Amino acid sequence: MIIIAPYAQKLRTGKENPKNYPHWEELVQELQKTMHVVQVGVKGEKQLVPDFRTNLPITSLRELLRQCKTWIGVDSFFQHLAWDEGKPGIVLWGPSDPLIFGHPENINLLKDRSHLIENQFVWWEATEHQNDRFVKPQEILEHLKE
Amino acid sequence: MSKVLCSIATRGRYFTTLPLVLNAIINQTKLPDALVIFDDNDEPQDMRKEMIYSYFFQMLDAKGVKWEWNFAGKKGQHHIHQTANLSGYEWVWRVDDDAIPEPNVLAELYDWATGTVYNVGAVGGSILTPPYMPDTSKVTGLIDNIDNEPNIQWGKIERHKEVEHLHCSFLYRAGIADYNLGLSRVAHREETLFTYQLQQKGYSILAVPNAVTWHMKNPQGGIRSETSEEMYKHDEQIFRNIIRFRDRTVVVLNCGLGDHIVFSHILPSIPRAEVFSCYPEVIPGKPIAEAIQLFGDIDQWNIYKKMDQWKWKDSLENAYRKMYL
Repeated sequence: MIIIAPYAQKLRTGKENPKNYPHWEELVQELQKTMHVVQVGVKGEKQLVPDFRTNLPITSLRELLRQCKTWIGVDSFFQHLAWDEGKPGIVLWGPSDPLIFGHPENINLLKDRSHLIENQFVWWEATEHQNDRFVKPQEILEHLKE
Repeated sequence: MSKVLCSIATRGRYFTTLPLVLNAIINQTKLPDALVIFDDNDEPQDMRKEMIYSYFFQMLDAKGVKWEWNFAGKKGQHHIHQTANLSGYEWVWRVDDDAIPEPNVLAELYDWATGTVYNVGAVGGSILTPPYMPDTSKVTGLIDNIDNEPNIQWGKIERHKEVEHLHCSFLYRAGIADYNLGLSRVAHREETLFTYQLQQKGYSILAVPNAVTWHMKNPQGGIRSETSEEMYKHDEQIFRNIIRFRDRTVVVLNCGLGDHIVFSHILPSIPRAEVFSCYPEVIPGKPIAEAIQLFGDIDQWNIYKKMDQWKWKDSLENAYRKMYL
């Protein structure tokens, strides 16, 4: 079983969080060919797989992490929780800097540091979402094989 | 050589003591690199049209001192000082608009700040208001004695002394401590809290001789011209609360769930932590609202503002270490 935590926190403006990975559908389609995928998140987020578990308490998320083979997520609280739990996974980075907000125990996939925003400490509402900031699904799948 | 900013907050004193202060600054034996006047008047004027100010500005230009006249937000002088504090200079010399420094004051304070064995956070000289000039030779300058002794700067300082707080006018290391922006517009105790915070961060606070500023305590105008007793009470309560927690490491986590998880790896190393938390299920603690009520302003614990201020490139975990350990 693999966990996906596809979305960063919703923004107060209603705009898409610029840290959200844009190619989940394509990625999930490939993942589901070979493994059971559990999506975790909060109610109201787009459902990507049949097994979508929302609003789980932290203790349940920890339990899931212990059971899973690995996980894929974005720069959100989940990557910190998994790090705290000692379960390495893959983090898909866009405008935020993995050297600041990431953990070296994970596979941190950043397309290019030139896509990072200059000021890492402003509200994310001020940053536009851009699809081309992120790696393609094929690259993620290559890392999963390792 | 370190860069020094001279910062003056002014209100209601265009034509009384402010010109005397500016003249005194222009005639310092060591000049600041820059001078910023924060104009907090209700009806600010363009002082370039006033002959005497026009001369002052030309004298500053002639002496190579960059100057700015900024119109402040009328939120109190603590906001003004915080702006100066974060302006990128290594040292800030704060001067009141009715405090006239003798010509050697900045040179003397700067020498103490940079030329001694002390790791100086702030250094101030005598701030004299004749005829009241008490003997402060026995004053300790400790925060515990603040109710029982005069401020050491009120008297003529004959020998340097390490203290825990200063008032009125002093030279300080910028960008280390924060002015408490939760204080009211009168900003009662703002400089005491600020210098005490520097001391708590491990820097020396010095009261030194041969650096006399004459405080004319002009009853008209002034950055603290508010008289609301409620404001003073409010600020005094914040001051007392901060002092009450001085033996604890106050931790305020007004941030996201993930930040709490990262911080949980630092918490065991923090001695005597008093925690205020948004997610008590991750980090047990008192509510954030209580921290705001106790300390007025909690921005000094905002890890994102601090990382921005520090131009941080390292990990979030290490930023927490820098803040708390």
